[in-house]
Amino acid sequence: MPRPAPNTITFTIDGREVQAPENSMLVDAAKHGDVEIPVFCYEPKLGNPVGACRMCLVEIEGIGKLQTGCSTPVKDGMVVNTQSDRVKEAQRSVVEFLLINHPLDCPVCDKGGECPLQDITFGWGGGISRFIEPKRHFVKPLELSPKIAIDRERCILCYRCVRFSQEIAEDYQLVLLERGAHSFVSTFDGHPYVAPFSGNIIELCPVGALTSRSYRFRARPWDIEDAGTVCTLCPAQCNVSLTVRDERVLRVLSRQNDDVDDGWLCDHGRFAYPALAQGEGPSETGSSTVKVLQGNPAAAANGDARGIRVGMRVSRPLLRDGGELRPVSWERAIEEAAVMLGRSGAKTAALAGDGATNEEGFLLSRLLGETLGSPHIDSRPSGTLAPELQRELAEPRLQAKVSDLEFAHGVLLLDCDPLLDAPILDLRLRKGVRRHGMKLERVSGEDFGAVRETAKRLADVGEEVVIVWGERFAAGADGAGRVRSLLDLAAELSLGETDGAGLLEIPATSNGRGLREAGVLPNGGPGFSEREQDGLDARAIADALAGGELSALYLFEVDPLSDGDPFAAAAGARADVETGEGSASWARGMERASAVVAHATLLSAGLAEHANVIFPAGSYAEKEGTVTHPDGRLQRVRQAVAEAGDTRPGWRVIAELSLRLGTDLDVYDAKEASQQLFDAVPFYAEMTLDEIGGRGVRWQEREETVAVGNAVLPQQMEPSAEAHSGPDRDTHAADNDTEGEHSTTGELPHADDGENEGEGRR
Amino acid sequence: MSDMLLFKDIDEPGLNTLSVYEARGGYASLRKALATTPEQVLEQLEASGLRGRGGAGFQMGKKVSFLPKGQMSKYLVCNADESEPGTFKDRELMQKNPHVLIEGIAIAAYAAGADRSFIYIRGEYVLQADVLDAALVEAREAGYIGDRVLDSEHSLSLVIHRGAGAYICGEETGLLDSLEGKRGNPRLKPPFPANQGLYQGPTLINNVETLSTVPTIIAMGGEQYAKIGVESSTGTKLVSISGHIQRPGNYEIELGIPSREIIYGLAGGPPEGSEIKCWFPGGSSSPVLLPDDLDVPYDFDSMAKAGSMLGSGAIIVVDDSTPIVDLALKVAKFYRHESCGKCTPCREGTNWTVKMLERIDSGEATPMDLDIMASVQDHIIGNCLCVLGDAMAMPIGSMIAKFRAEFEQHIEMARAREEATLVGAAVGVGAATAGSTH
Repeated sequence: MPRPAPNTITFTIDGREVQAPENSMLVDAAKHGDVEIPVFCYEPKLGNPVGACRMCLVEIEGIGKLQTGCSTPVKDGMVVNTQSDRVKEAQRSVVEFLLINHPLDCPVCDKGGECPLQDITFGWGGGISRFIEPKRHFVKPLELSPKIAIDRERCILCYRCVRFSQEIAEDYQLVLLERGAHSFVSTFDGHPYVAPFSGNIIELCPVGALTSRSYRFRARPWDIEDAGTVCTLCPAQCNVSLTVRDERVLRVLSRQNDDVDDGWLCDHGRFAYPALAQGEGPSETGSSTVKVLQGNPAAAANGDARGIRVGMRVSRPLLRDGGELRPVSWERAIEEAAVMLGRSGAKTAALAGDGATNEEGFLLSRLLGETLGSPHIDSRPSGTLAPELQRELAEPRLQAKVSDLEFAHGVLLLDCDPLLDAPILDLRLRKGVRRHGMKLERVSGEDFGAVRETAKRLADVGEEVVIVWGERFAAGADGAGRVRSLLDLAAELSLGETDGAGLLEIPATSNGRGLREAGVLPNGGPGFSEREQDGLDARAIADALAGGELSALYLFEVDPLSDGDPFAAAAGARADVETGEGSASWARGMERASAVVAHATLLSAGLAEHANVIFPAGSYAEKEGTVTHPDGRLQRVRQAVAEAGDTRPGWRVIAELSLRLGTDLDVYDAKEASQQLFDAVPFYAEMTLDEIGGRGVRWQEREETVAVGNAVLPQQMEPSAEAHSGPDRDTHAADNDTEGEHSTTGELPHADDGENEGEGRR
Repeated sequence: MSDMLLFKDIDEPGLNTLSVYEARGGYASLRKALATTPEQVLEQLEASGLRGRGGAGFQMGKKVSFLPKGQMSKYLVCNADESEPGTFKDRELMQKNPHVLIEGIAIAAYAAGADRSFIYIRGEYVLQADVLDAALVEAREAGYIGDRVLDSEHSLSLVIHRGAGAYICGEETGLLDSLEGKRGNPRLKPPFPANQGLYQGPTLINNVETLSTVPTIIAMGGEQYAKIGVESSTGTKLVSISGHIQRPGNYEIELGIPSREIIYGLAGGPPEGSEIKCWFPGGSSSPVLLPDDLDVPYDFDSMAKAGSMLGSGAIIVVDDSTPIVDLALKVAKFYRHESCGKCTPCREGTNWTVKMLERIDSGEATPMDLDIMASVQDHIIGNCLCVLGDAMAMPIGSMIAKFRAEFEQHIEMARAREEATLVGAAVGVGAATAGSTH
């Protein structure tokens, strides 16, 4: 479907000639000339303008009445005036009208200080009030839902929340009741507004009428800092801005990136932050929805000061001593882990899960391969695929990107439920269907005949077809066969040759794609290179541990015995359909393993029972590194707050452990880990953190990758161990003052970047 | 009147039945129209100069010509949500002569290329809706509505939809939303209904009286029709007269006759012993005119020139027994109640105006408040999403401008009355206290 490709036109605003895209709304076009037209109801994310608030009235030459800038498309030669007395009076009057029923309780309002109504009143208002009658009163605040409070007195009836509910999330729960000055936002019969994306209305609200119940009264805008990063709680990897106060994450806001999230967040991502808070157990509001929270929150809440219970944040190294996990020093934890792993050597296996960054996965694979000599490492809960298949799937031309989901003629969901697997894509698909007439079909991979039939039906509508498939499609014994069929189908429909068409895999873990590309696979190194010796995959590792062929297990933010963990889920699913084994084999395997070493953010059930050493792992708000979006976009995870308690960065723990075992991985700060990764993966060639920046970069679209790309992907690669061990080594002696050498590396718009330099801070 | 067109046979018993209507020449115009091309019908409509009778007075033929050409689903919607205070002409028309409306819809739909039509009738018009329902059954059976109308290539469905009682649903885009099953809120224009109306399709919306005039135009020819009335206000108009008047009711007049002839000639003027204080020439949303304006010709342009508007053709006469503040409050309260709340100036402005008027009436205002009230009206006019806000602000603004002295007097008297009450109460309390100490 054609993407908008606007012409540039010239129009005059406030006496100056300005160039802007044709037919963009005046409000947006004016920004090209540094002119701000104030708005309340206008929000392009919500679709067509409604022109309800009347704040954006401007004068257009040749038109008698004032026009709303939010709904007037700019044309070549248009002459617009935003500064005439007539416009100013109209704007002043709208501010006056809006304020007559507004309580002006700014001193106790959460929005105060970051409130568009305040800003616009200051910028365009008359500065006086002529209204002396009693204001409208409502009971305040009310619970709109367990997460959101509504203060109807503050509401200026801009319709944004109602439009979101009806036209974006399409849950149709929010409505406007009554009429005229008595209008108010509500739900049918006062039912709570419970929906997967409800939290977005808090951010949309231009006043303090909709507030987050968990953020209410926790901070004022002038004592918080914003820290941009990427949410890694699911594969959607939405861009977020964390509100930080006193080294705590108090709030998660969207950081709009149209190539990833369109500026929306799901409620999991938005309200999960209590789990990220330093040193705290899970709070009541977060526990039920947060993927990283496992176990029994009630137990955590009642936890006594001595011990740590399941569900609580791990903030100090833990060592099993006399059958019980006890906090120990880092020195001791690393020493003990090194002894255990050294003893196990090549009989060690490792899994990397949800929270792992590319760098952590990459270093983990180095630890296993180079230090311990073991090939048994995996990051695919659903079982491995042959390297040829992996490379074929990663073929750049075959990759659909997120924006294709909006403009494709048809999208086929194959063994994939966006709302559960990558929620924000659900909104993108709705947008495609609603605004561009995209056809959406959903099919199970069990009967590939039906898949083929449905895909062809979509292809009959239009050639741009995107097949979104979940990793579980490739699970089981015949997974490889199904993937082969899928690739054949893609070839048959020419998805690789059609712009806007392609395949998009939603991995089972948040950074599944990045971990695979970094070489966290039993049968492939960095960039899907061949390994000298293939290792065992996750399922075989469980069996080998149970059978005694493997003796130690290294779990990087994985607990295959914990509900909700992708590895546990995959094992559980297998238990149902196949042998009845599955999770039982993990229980036996972890029971028999002589050593289980784990990195964990929260203590989970399996680790509480089986782990010998647990290293505290940082939440995504505490990490520095990169992750890769399912569509190949590398994104930076930036450290927003100090690590909780005694937590150390994952790369540093792995490097120390390796050093203790006699191998120097040459990593002394987070940026070096990234550099090693970029050097090792051929299609990340010459990547820098600067280049990734705050918006991320799809490696398929880089010139550097394209230059090496075709040579790289389909062909066999050298094992990558040598790729990074060369030049860096000599420079490290002088690298105690690493800051100088690396300080030019790319930055997000961070509140305090100096603090985020990893190594230097502690 | 000799040259009545719409009301020619209006009191004929049984005119609401098909047999009587046909005996009076009914549906001949539809046959005549179907024998020509839609373009030719459109030419007739354009030649007639017929202006919309709902309030805005937009040329009907032009409106039809705005619909995009080509094979697509187009709609015709008849606005029968006659809610403007003082207006009751469509009510009589539909009740007594439903078939002329159905015939008009069939012809207009043919000209516009619409194959689906709707009558959106206000819920309070129960009797009229029942009459229309019965007439529609007859018209369907006779083949005037349905597949292949009168064996032509033209097909037309017609649905009669009853509203739920909101003034705003008489605004054309609010009506469309309501018809689609949504909350009746006006939409942003553009896009205009001619391009994106009902269900996003091209839509022609016209008032009952406008559509009911169409068969006459086809019968007598557009040019012939244009000779009635005055230039730019052609034809006849139904006028609803109410208020302080001796013979209230509906009258059909030729556009352009002096207003005095309607108010005094046809309706008999105000009751014995009272004088006209002011009058609304086109429903409660038109700015008021004074007795001095009685000689203004009753047509669209003359009324606009006099600072008011013809609107829906509803003349409301107010005599000198009515305080202007009471009148203003009544009008303002109506519009506050009916404001949909979507756009800021109307939602807040109507509410604020009522509160100020109430203050004036209760003796808590000063003449300065009149300036504020006048400026609030100025801030509403032209700045709203639809015309409902203007519909309050224009008459209220005109009342403040034309009766400022009376407003000020009202303020002073109300304050004096309040003060007297307060003083009286204080004296009473004092006396009681004094009594108890002894």
